[in-house]
Order: sequence, then structure tokens, then C-alpha cells
Amino acid sequence: MRPENYKPVRHPPSHEYELYFGPNHPGIEGNYAIRVRLKGDVVQEAITDAGYLHRGFEKIMEERLWVQNVALVPRICVPDPVPMEESYARAVETLGGIEVPERAQWIRVLMLEMSRICAHLFTFGGNAATIGLYTNMFWGVTMRDLFLDIFEEITGARIYHMYITPGGVRRDLPDGVLDRLAAVLDELERKKPEFDDLFFENAVVINRATGVGVLTQAQALAWGVTGPNLRACGLAHDVRRDDPYLVYPALKFDIPTATSGCSLARMHVRRAEVEQSVRILRQVMERLRTVGGPVRAHLPNPLAWNVPAGEAYARTESSKGELAFFAVSNGGPKPWRIQVRGPSQMHGVQVLERILEGARIEDVAQIMFSLDACPPEIDR
Amino acid sequence: MSDVTPKYKGSVLRPLKALANLWREPATLPMEPRPAAPNYRGFHLNDWKLCIGCGTCQEICDNAAIRMVQIPDLPTDAKAGVKPRRPAIDYGRCCWCALCVDICPTGSLSLSREYIHVSSDIDSYFILPDEKGIHGLGFEKGWSKSETSDLLDHQRQEMECLPAEEALSGFGELVPGYDTQAAVLEASRCIQCGMCHEACPTGMNAPEYIRALWQGDREKAVAEIYRTNPLAQVCGRICTHACETACSVGRRGAPVAIRWLKRHAMDSVPPDQIREIAIAGKAEEPSGRRVSIIGAGPAGLTAAFDLAKKGHAVTIYEARSKPGGMMRFGIPEYRLPYHNLDADIDVIRASGVEILCNTAIGRDVSMAQIRGASDAVLISTGLWAARSARVPGTDHPRVLSAIRVLEAITQGEDFGVPRRAVVVGGGNVAFDVARSVARLQKARYGEVAMDVIALEDRDHMLADEEEVREAAGEGIDLFNSWGPKSIQINDGSIVALETVRCISLKDAEGRFHPKYDESTMVSHAADTVIEAIGQSADTSYLGKELVEALEWSRGRLKIDRAGRTSEPWLWAAGDMVEGPDVVHAIAAGHRAAASIDEVLAHMAVKPGNVA
Amino acid sequence: MTSQRASVPAQLDHILHEMSEVRVTPKGERRVRVDLAADRLPTLLQLLKGHGGFLHLSSISCVDWPETDEFELVYHVWSYESKMLISAHTLIAKSPGRFVSVYDIHAPAGFYERDIHEMYGVHFEGSPNLNKFILTSWHGPPPMLKSFDTRAYVDETYAWRDYNPQWLKDIAAKGGGIEE
Repeated sequence: MRPENYKPVRHPPSHEYELYFGPNHPGIEGNYAIRVRLKGDVVQEAITDAGYLHRGFEKIMEERLWVQNVALVPRICVPDPVPMEESYARAVETLGGIEVPERAQWIRVLMLEMSRICAHLFTFGGNAATIGLYTNMFWGVTMRDLFLDIFEEITGARIYHMYITPGGVRRDLPDGVLDRLAAVLDELERKKPEFDDLFFENAVVINRATGVGVLTQAQALAWGVTGPNLRACGLAHDVRRDDPYLVYPALKFDIPTATSGCSLARMHVRRAEVEQSVRILRQVMERLRTVGGPVRAHLPNPLAWNVPAGEAYARTESSKGELAFFAVSNGGPKPWRIQVRGPSQMHGVQVLERILEGARIEDVAQIMFSLDACPPEIDR
Repeated sequence: MSDVTPKYKGSVLRPLKALANLWREPATLPMEPRPAAPNYRGFHLNDWKLCIGCGTCQEICDNAAIRMVQIPDLPTDAKAGVKPRRPAIDYGRCCWCALCVDICPTGSLSLSREYIHVSSDIDSYFILPDEKGIHGLGFEKGWSKSETSDLLDHQRQEMECLPAEEALSGFGELVPGYDTQAAVLEASRCIQCGMCHEACPTGMNAPEYIRALWQGDREKAVAEIYRTNPLAQVCGRICTHACETACSVGRRGAPVAIRWLKRHAMDSVPPDQIREIAIAGKAEEPSGRRVSIIGAGPAGLTAAFDLAKKGHAVTIYEARSKPGGMMRFGIPEYRLPYHNLDADIDVIRASGVEILCNTAIGRDVSMAQIRGASDAVLISTGLWAARSARVPGTDHPRVLSAIRVLEAITQGEDFGVPRRAVVVGGGNVAFDVARSVARLQKARYGEVAMDVIALEDRDHMLADEEEVREAAGEGIDLFNSWGPKSIQINDGSIVALETVRCISLKDAEGRFHPKYDESTMVSHAADTVIEAIGQSADTSYLGKELVEALEWSRGRLKIDRAGRTSEPWLWAAGDMVEGPDVVHAIAAGHRAAASIDEVLAHMAVKPGNVA
Repeated sequence: MTSQRASVPAQLDHILHEMSEVRVTPKGERRVRVDLAADRLPTLLQLLKGHGGFLHLSSISCVDWPETDEFELVYHVWSYESKMLISAHTLIAKSPGRFVSVYDIHAPAGFYERDIHEMYGVHFEGSPNLNKFILTSWHGPPPMLKSFDTRAYVDETYAWRDYNPQWLKDIAAKGGGIEE
């Protein structure tokens, strides 16, 4: 809905009123709105309002060549674009029966885990900002920028990498980039105590986020919640381990979980995931120093590439949960149908609406951000 | 799994730790733009010297941000596949994905490390990139072509070829053609740039028929082929494929096998269906005009087909026993099986063309008779008189001309298969005759004893590379940079050809004028010498009166662009006036037919000609 | 019962045994495709959830097939226990384009049914909320239908902006210009 079209519901003169959160609000990564009906400062009802970021990706993808969509998919989720590229590429590879060279698989994992760290760093900052702590945001974004430098070196672009392509990746790694990434990881670990001081051990955060926005495991399962939000309620499900892709089975990593299912628990899970991603990255970097070979499978001319008819459902564990691309080919040069199943479609809409009921007005933004919904993923 | 449920309770004093930052160095960043990564995807660069204007960047662009701009003062070269156009980029649409760089067939496009452009002038966002970049600042290349990053498929679908031993055992066709899967894959390599269309003398619709094959529509492919070529079985096998020389994919990889794709289309559609497709669009009513064509070679057959489709009554007079001309009597059967040639000619006949074989002008029918019975006459009698090196001994009866030997082989005549032979010449005809005779040697004597003497050095051979390579595999020895000196005759029989070193081919003005080093001689033992150093036209059949009436230029009949001679009723086409190969003859046939048709349209109908 | 059960786990086999007219196609290590008639679909989801641990409705996909005038609905369900994804495919007629909601089996269906309703116009009986969501200011046909031509819509609705920089004027003066 356009803000100018918004007509607040007229309620009888009472202590009930309605607030319109958004569409630009620090509690959301992107443009998204929530209509909140309140009684006093307690939320009675929350209704999500999407559409500000609808760019018609699924429709446009049907009108472009299979390879052209490589340029489109990362744009679906700004903070965490690499899983989009990976899911799309893997869906096409499944349809075409294409084997990705081993080196390319390791590079893809490198990209995916770097992207996860970036997305989580972003979320720490945003989450802190919702309770008035802005330093976190500056530090998180600064740290993320060091990773973006590495992305830029590898892919030629900082945010929209357009790097993972059906059959592998578009270029091999530039010389020396692994050493520079190692330095960035060291820097991240060096900064960790400071981040902890600022956020996880900050009394303001602890008092504001503990026990707020609680999601039980039963609720999470019933409402289709995935990713860190599900793991924060105690279920150790991770697509990387349970429905593995690329070379993840060859990697050692833990799946952090928490039991309380509250805002703070979700952030703790993300914090632990960053540690696990660093652990994964160190293993990947080690392997990349020895695994050679091509980084892209031999594919037909993209202008005349008929991908065999069929369908594929490619799932990836993004920083926000289970991301899936459903791709259908009718044997033509363009996709017949691409559906993007973003994890935020669950925890950013129905779950958010329910979890906000009974919350206090000052916690709304914080709860929204602790779920780490990515509105562009919902809007597509 | 690790449980990270928060247990820590925190302290209100924790944030005070931040006070320690008061003693930290401030973080200061310079105002000027930071240098981009070496692989950065910034504004475009385009090396205009490399760019061929193929427009593939425009095709791959997912945002329609690239438009091709015609630039009149740029060089253009249809034969080499160069168009005078360059891509312009709309930075209102570009998303810097660099697919244009990765697909660019020449590698002329790259993205630079420049990334800042600020302007309130909307026109400044539409640029025609050159090697200096958007602001002419000469930023270095960022994202550019690498060996492994090409999006194009540079590998050609392999075409099998008979192994040399098997090839030598007879005149069976050397290459079997693509199967459907290979043809579709090969067709998928085409980027539809149309360079081949411009390079082909007939302007064939190769992009269209290749696309149709890729889509699995072979009938449509045949229809596209017949729009410009009624001898597609022939051209699909032996065309000199200027199209493949101009092919953009060939810039960095193997060009699309356009010729083999044409052949696949023709081989995979049944003959009666081809006939139906080819004749579609024939004029329903006869025009009442009569055209006579002399010589059933590629030019004559093509013109006949075109004119017959326009509704004219066409008769071809052919001196030999069968139609086809050089295609039948010059090109060996292992390259062009007779039944494939016959298939093309059957379609031409089915269009209504009458072909009278064993009918030589001047012997069976006179030029005057033909002229009297026709509204227009086209002569296309080719080059059948052999040239000779005229060195001592070439008047010996065992000094044969390549064209006579090839004709004899087609006719099944015995010309005396030589035990040891030397072929003089470095063109395709030399290899045709050497390889044909080698097969006969193998059959009769069990071994090949064949030398080929070429004036050119190995890097400047006139013959196709595959001919040279396959001949070597068949046991034929090639001697480069040698010229014939004399033929040694002993007791009336040839014993050897003496050759001298050729040190240069052309004089200062670039004219053919070979120079020899007479002190370096090599003798090639042989009982037969075959000369393959060119042919000339024999126009004696025209009759003295007509020869004198016609205009000539340097011994060749003078024609205008459409093939019309100085006599208004007479056209000429093919090798006898232009050359050098089948596809040029076909193009000339089309031009002559169009010209004849146009002239006939403005001519009164001769009484008695209405069918 | 028509099925090729070669590599379908026994446990799943047991569940599908209770269904008739189901075609089962293993599609990979953790992927099974099931084709069945639309009216059997809720039963299948119920059985899979109740007896197979397929608790997680990953998503519902809709595909428009204009040639047969059908929508293909695909229900992707995941089992946290057997770690397998079943994609249940069913076809419904585009006209009237109605189907039952599976919201009471899988709550996530609420979002997907609303999305498919908005983008394809399929009506799901019993779905809790089929109000407009993303396209609140859109009054045209459901845009994901193959019959909706985005390019034509854009051409009709917006004007293409032309550029005319100096370099282009110079080239035009010499007889060149942008190729159409």
C-alpha cells in the first residue's frame, strides 16, 4: 500500500489506536510496514504490509535467458545475496545434470560463508539500533566492509557479486586473496571481545532482549520457521548438514542452538554461527590452496542453451534460514518458472504477526529485527 | 550440537568499557576515491581495433543497456567479418554484470577500474566506450577476458573422418556428417551475429537455418537454405565456406561448422519433402518467355532454377553426358558423392528446367539456332582448357592435365594409372587429382607413389589446410617452394621431373612472377606428370562472328555487374567470367537470372512461345 | 496403484501404500516426486505429516501451463526425521481455478496460498487470508499468468527515454546512428 492511500481505521474513542510502522523503519532491513493496533502500549494485532520492494523478479526471470538471470538473483536479498546465486545456479545445474568442478564448489562455500558473516554482522548492528545502541551498527558495518573488500577482489563487485553461475563460478580466485581473507578473519576474532562487550554482555541488551518475542519449538515448527530462529528454539536443523550440497559434508562445523527462543537467544545463535563460519572458512581456505582444476563446467553458448525440461528444488541455508529456488524448464532457452522461497516469507509475515501480539510497543522494532526478516525476499 | 542459550546476566558497567576507546587513534579515511580492485567491474572499455561490431554484447545484455551504433567512417570488411558498428552503453540500465565482457567473441570489451560518474546531464550516461573509458582518463582494465572465462562455446562438435587407410581403399565419402545431436549442439554455438551472411557470395541465411536446426525444425532450415542456394547438397559438402572465415565465434575459438550444418539439414530431410520446399513459391502461370542456358554447371543450374521458378521456360544445353560440370567432373567422388549432386539437380529439374545432355554447341546445335529460339541466353561453360607450365617435355603424352584426369576418373575411363606420379600445383585441384590418383594406385599397385610440387611455401598454400593434412595421411608427399624445370625423358618414357627452388612468388608490384634459384635442383622420379596449375575458358563454340561482336577484357568476356555481356540478349556467369568456386558461380547465377528476369519483364512476348 | 518404488524408503512406501493412484518418482538422494489427483492431495499431506514426520511445508509452487489450461500446484514437504523432501505435484483446471486450502494441515500454507492467489488468481477455499499483500495498488490481471505480457504492459504504460549526447549527434551528421 502506498502511504498516501493509508486510511487509518476509525476506532471508537477509547484507549485503542493504530500505528503504522514503516515503510522506512530501522527495525527492518528494507522497506516494509506493519500496522499495529495497540491498547495502551500493548500490541493487540499486527498486520504486515509488503510490496514496497516488489520488483517482479519471478516474472522477469521467465523472460531472460538462463545465464542472464545470474545478474538478477543476488538482488533478491541485499544483505545476503550469495545464497540466492547458489540456489539459482544449483537449480539450473540439477535440471541440466551439470557437475560443478570441485574447486568451484570450495569457492562457492567460501562465498556463502563470507556472505553469512556479513549478513549476521549487519543484523547485530540493526538489532542493537532498535534498542538505541548505534555503535554496534557502525562497527558491524565497518567489519562487514572488510569482507566486502575481499568480495570485490574476487568478484569485481562489493554487494551484487553475480559470481556464482550455473556450472561453477565465473572466475578463479585472484592471487593472494586467501591470505588477505585470513587477515580479515583474524581481525574479526580480535574484535570479537569488543562486540561481545558492546552487545552480548551489555546489560541494556540483556535486559531488553531476554524473554522478549519468545517462540516455542512447537510454534516454530508449526509456522514453518527455519534457520537461526528455529535453532534458537532448540531444533538443530541446518540445510547444510541435513540436506547437504556442495562440499559441506567434508567440512567440520557445529550447529549452535539455544533453548529459550527469545530475541536474545536468536542473536546468540547468530553470534555462534559467525564463529562456525570462521571455522568453516579456515578449512575451505586450507583446501583451496591444494585443490586445483577448472572453476566452471563446459556449457553451451548461453544465447542458445536449452536447459532440459524438468523441475528442481534447490535448498540452501542462508543467514536467515531455508532458502529454496523452484525451477521449471520446458526445455527452452529461458526458465518457464522460477519460484523463490525465502525464509523471511515465514518469519517475516505470519510469524511476526503472531509473535507481536501481546508485545509492548517499545519491543516491536526489536522483535522484528531479532527475527532477521529480509523484506526484499518476501516481496521479490 | 552446541547450546548457546544466553546465561550471562550482564552488568550495567559493561558499556563503560567503551571509554577505553577515548585513547584510540581516530579512524580517518581520505576523501579521494579508493582505488578499485584489479578485477573491478567499473565503466566499460572497448578496444575499437579489436571490436568487429558483431553485436553479441547487445544480445547477452540482460537489461537492454547496449545498443549498436553505426559509424560510417569505420572500416568494414565482410570477408573478414567486420562491421562498422560499435556498442554504446546506457548507464541508466547497465547493472555491471559483465556478461558482455565474458561473451565478447573478440575480447575487445572489458570493464575498467573507474567507478565514479556524477552529472546532472542525463545524456552523459549514454556512452560509446573506447579504450580510454567514459571520461577519457585511461583507467586500467578491471574485469576482462581470461582464458577460462569465455561464455561462448569455442569447441566445435567433432566431425569424424575416414581413417587414411580406409579412405585410400576407394572413393567413399570421407566425412559422414553430423548426427542430429551433434548438429543441434553445433548449431547452439552460433551467436546469430550475421557475419556469415555478409561474407557469403550468395548472402545465405545461415543464422536463420542454424537457428532453425537448433530448434529442431529441419524443414524450416531447408527452406532458409533454398532461399539463396539450390545446390545445397553440394555446398554442404564442398563449399569453400567464406562464412566460416568470417564467423565471429572463430575469433577466439573454432568457427561454427556452418557448412556441415547445411549438409546436416539437407541430409536429414527426405528428397520429396526437399523438392516440395524448394519449389514452393513457383509462379503459377508460365510467363511465355524462353531462356536457353549453355553449360549445366553451378552457375547455369542456379540461374535455370531461379528463372524456372519465375515461370520462364528454361532449357540447359550440356555437352557432357551428365549435368553438373566441375561439380561432377572436377570434384572427386570422395568429397562429393554423385548421388548427392544428382539429388540437387533432381530438385532443379523438378522446378521445370529441361536439361539436354550430350548437346554441344557448334556440334549438335548452333549458337544461332539457340539465339533464335530464345528470349535470352546465358552462357556458363566454365574453365575446361588446361594451362601448362610449358617447360621442356610438357608436350609428352604422359604429361596430363589435372582436369582431364579427374574427368576420366568420373567417366570411368582408363587413362593409364601411373606407377609413380608427380602433380605440379598447390591448389585444391592439385590435391583432388593427387588424392584421386593415389586411390587408383593403391587399388592397382597396392601402394601410393605420389609427389606434389607447390610453388608456395607451407604457410601460404592455396589448398585448404584439411586437404593438405589428409593428403599427407594418405601417403602423398608435398614439396613446398619448388617449381618445375624440365621433364627427363628416357627412351620415350618420362623418368623424372626436375624442380628448382622457388625463392619468391611475386614481383615488387605484387604480380605473380616466380623467381627461382637455379642452383638448387631436385629430381622427382615419375612416369607421369600431372599439371594442376590452372585452367582457362574455351569459348570457340561461340563462333567467330559472335566472338568478334562481343567485348572482351584481358582475354575474358566483358560483363556488367549482373552478368550481361555487350550483346543485349546474352549473359555470362560462372568460372568462365569470374570464378573462383562453386558458391561464387551460384551467386553469379542468381545475379544473371535476376537481370534476365527483369529484362524479360519489359520485353514483348515472341509469338508461338506461349506454352 | 502405479508406482516405481525402487529407491523410495520403506517407511515412505508404507505411507503411500495407503493411497491409490499415486505415481512416485525418486529424483535424487533426498528428493521424491509424487504425482496425484488434486482431490487426493490433502489426504497425502495429512498422511505424510501424521505418519512420516513430514512436518515442514517448505513451500507451495504454482506453475501456469496455458497449453492445457491448467495450473500445476507443487507442495514441497520436508521431514526432519527422514531428511527427505517430497514434492507433490497436482494439476487443477485454470477455470474456475479453485482449490482447497491446506492451512489447517500446514500453517505456512497461509502465506503461499495468499501469494499464489495474488499472482495467479487461484482461489483457495478455507485459506485464512486471501487479501492483497504485495500488489495492493495493482488493478490488472494476476501478473504471473503467462498471458500477462510484462514488456507490452511497460511499453503501454511508460515512455522510453531517448538520449541524445553530442557524440551521437556527430555520428548522425555523418549518416550513422543507433541501429534499431
